[in-house]
Amino acid sequence: MTTTHPVIAAWSAVSPLGMGRAAFTEGLRAGRTAAAPVDPGWDAPVEEACLVPGFDVKAVLGRKGTRSMDRVTGLAVTAVGQLLDGARGDERTALVLGTSTGSAQSIMDFTRDSLTGARPHLVDPARFPNTVMNCAAGQCAIWHGIQGPNVTLAAGRASGLLALRYALRLQRNDHAEAVLVGAVEEFSHARAWLEHRARTPAGLLGEGCAVLRLERRGDGPAEVLGVETAVYHEPAAVGPTVTGLVARALARAGVTADDVTLLSHSGMDGEADGARAALPGAETVPCAEVIGDTSAASAAFQVAAVLAAAENHPEPAPRTAVVTAVDHDGVAAAAVLRLRRPTT
Amino acid sequence: MTETANRVVITGLGVVSSMGLGVDAFLAGLRAGRNTARPITAFDTTGFDHANGCEITGFAARDWIRTLNPDELGRASQFAVAAARMAIDDASLPVERLRGSRSLVTIGTTDGESRDLDSLVETEVGQGPQAMDPVVARRVPAGRLSAAVAREFGLTDTEAVTIPTACSAGNYAIGYGFDAVRGGEVDFALAGGADALCRKTFTGFYRLGTIAPERCQPFDADRKGILTGEGAGVLLLESERSALARGARIYAVVLGYGLSCDADHPVAPNQSSVARCMRLALDNSGVKPEEVDLISAHGTGTKANDVTEAGAIHQVFGDRPPRTVSLKSMIGHSMGAASALASIGCALAITEGFVPPTINHERTDPEIDLDCVPNTAIDADLTVVQNNGLAFGGNNAVTIFGKYPERAA
Repeated sequence: MTTTHPVIAAWSAVSPLGMGRAAFTEGLRAGRTAAAPVDPGWDAPVEEACLVPGFDVKAVLGRKGTRSMDRVTGLAVTAVGQLLDGARGDERTALVLGTSTGSAQSIMDFTRDSLTGARPHLVDPARFPNTVMNCAAGQCAIWHGIQGPNVTLAAGRASGLLALRYALRLQRNDHAEAVLVGAVEEFSHARAWLEHRARTPAGLLGEGCAVLRLERRGDGPAEVLGVETAVYHEPAAVGPTVTGLVARALARAGVTADDVTLLSHSGMDGEADGARAALPGAETVPCAEVIGDTSAASAAFQVAAVLAAAENHPEPAPRTAVVTAVDHDGVAAAAVLRLRRPTT
Repeated sequence: MTETANRVVITGLGVVSSMGLGVDAFLAGLRAGRNTARPITAFDTTGFDHANGCEITGFAARDWIRTLNPDELGRASQFAVAAARMAIDDASLPVERLRGSRSLVTIGTTDGESRDLDSLVETEVGQGPQAMDPVVARRVPAGRLSAAVAREFGLTDTEAVTIPTACSAGNYAIGYGFDAVRGGEVDFALAGGADALCRKTFTGFYRLGTIAPERCQPFDADRKGILTGEGAGVLLLESERSALARGARIYAVVLGYGLSCDADHPVAPNQSSVARCMRLALDNSGVKPEEVDLISAHGTGTKANDVTEAGAIHQVFGDRPPRTVSLKSMIGHSMGAASALASIGCALAITEGFVPPTINHERTDPEIDLDCVPNTAIDADLTVVQNNGLAFGGNNAVTIFGKYPERAA
């Protein structure tokens, strides 16, 4: 079958289930929560969270070039490195990375040093770049030689799908050939407290980075048929918004609800009902139940979860998947993926 | 879905800047070459030897934000919503029409609501993290800068996405809006940038030794660095067909843009990568270097930026580069808003037929060797204008604007 749809050629995940794609796939299949007690050293208002096990920037990436690297950057550099699998980027390779607000920890630490130091400017200059939200994407470029468009974007929990939409548009308009697209979130004292104060109680927080390689064509586990977005204006509108969004996404992709066998939703109140109203026959793929609320990274992990679930799904093979994501601040998005059976 | 390559035009401009509120105040300031530097009041500057900036005073959020509760928005989001409202009004576009159309809302930023994070840190230091205000904590996520605009105007069939690619973010957003309108995927795009002065960023630049003590002097032999600023610039983009059908005034055409990444150093720009970005933008726009009449430079006023950027300009434009000006000499470095406000400056320069000056200028650095139109605006007929944006992370973004209608060949 010939197609003009872009292809997800490969993916990687640095997740609470472990480092890499295999750990993520196996962990999701096992379905055991990745929640673990939070080390008191974090001084966080949560007892349990889903951290990437044993993730320490210097241990994973070495000491060179990591002296001032923060956690969110380390997670992104690691996940992009796994995706590239030894290859280097080039001028025609783009990176599009979703974030919530970069590293709230790095930003707040920097201000704290200014407020509590002997003089207000006695801060560590090497840590200043960490306080700017595009730090992780910029460091991924440096580490992996990615000289094409380098894009950071933010749309809360929908960031992964908005990043995918940005990537599609970047490629369609020939700003890049291959696009590495994903999203990242870190666990930190600052994030835990901000989430705890914003929405008491904070849910089960997770972290990590999931990244896809989007190619114009070729081999890969899925084709991206489309990404649609909307904004809702009150909590009661989440369900109807998602129903409408999924219907629109399917119509534009030229597939019917009957074709959709897998669904992943982000768990916002009303979202699952709204998605199921449009997709009564789809099987729901769990993600946040296992890895926690990964905030900005959640929709990227949902896409990875769908790909992982399709990989070893019993017959009949799943054909089409829908991923929905809804953020507290109004953004909603839905992606339609055509799943391919692995050829190996 | 059929794709038509629309011509993309600018029909509305919204400005929140240290020049004042609205496009008229901005235009008057650019023409007059007004210096807006003054002592910073946004945070306690005790202990810094000098602390001038280009701050906005007299901004009343309630004048501009009518649907949402302004208290639930951080200052950068407030600026973004205000500038968006100005752009919609300026374009004479009924909000009901916008609501019934497919739209994109995309706001670039450097710091998002870091001003709120500053205040939350103060609370944490003084009273502990459990005392952090929930309303302020909810304002923090950067996605809200764009989502707030969509919510304020009741947009539903829309894509609201913030682009936090630091100091070139406004150009990224305009580029994204350009592609979306050009491909016929949306009818209208509200694209721009917003940032609020904050202690964090002032302190960082101060620590790097890049804050000028008094004024910003891009390209001057005696330049001493940047002044931090704030504000928002939002452009309303639509297809030429749409603008003509509704009888809208057209400021200028967006011809294209380019993005490149240095992949070299976290803060120092790379000359050949900046040059590559300009070439990509020119190619994307179908413009030859000799057709560019004016460059609005990133022009921060630091030694590193100005020499590298000028070198890249010479690399692309040869021995006779176009006039190259820096709006930052007047309004400081408004971070994520900077290239959006500069794009608005480019559109106004084209429409009004003038070149805004580079002020505070005494003697051009011989190493730079550019005509930076010192101190006084000049009249000029401009057909093609280029706007440079450089950023931390090596995130370069260049936009190109053209006169509308073009002169008959």
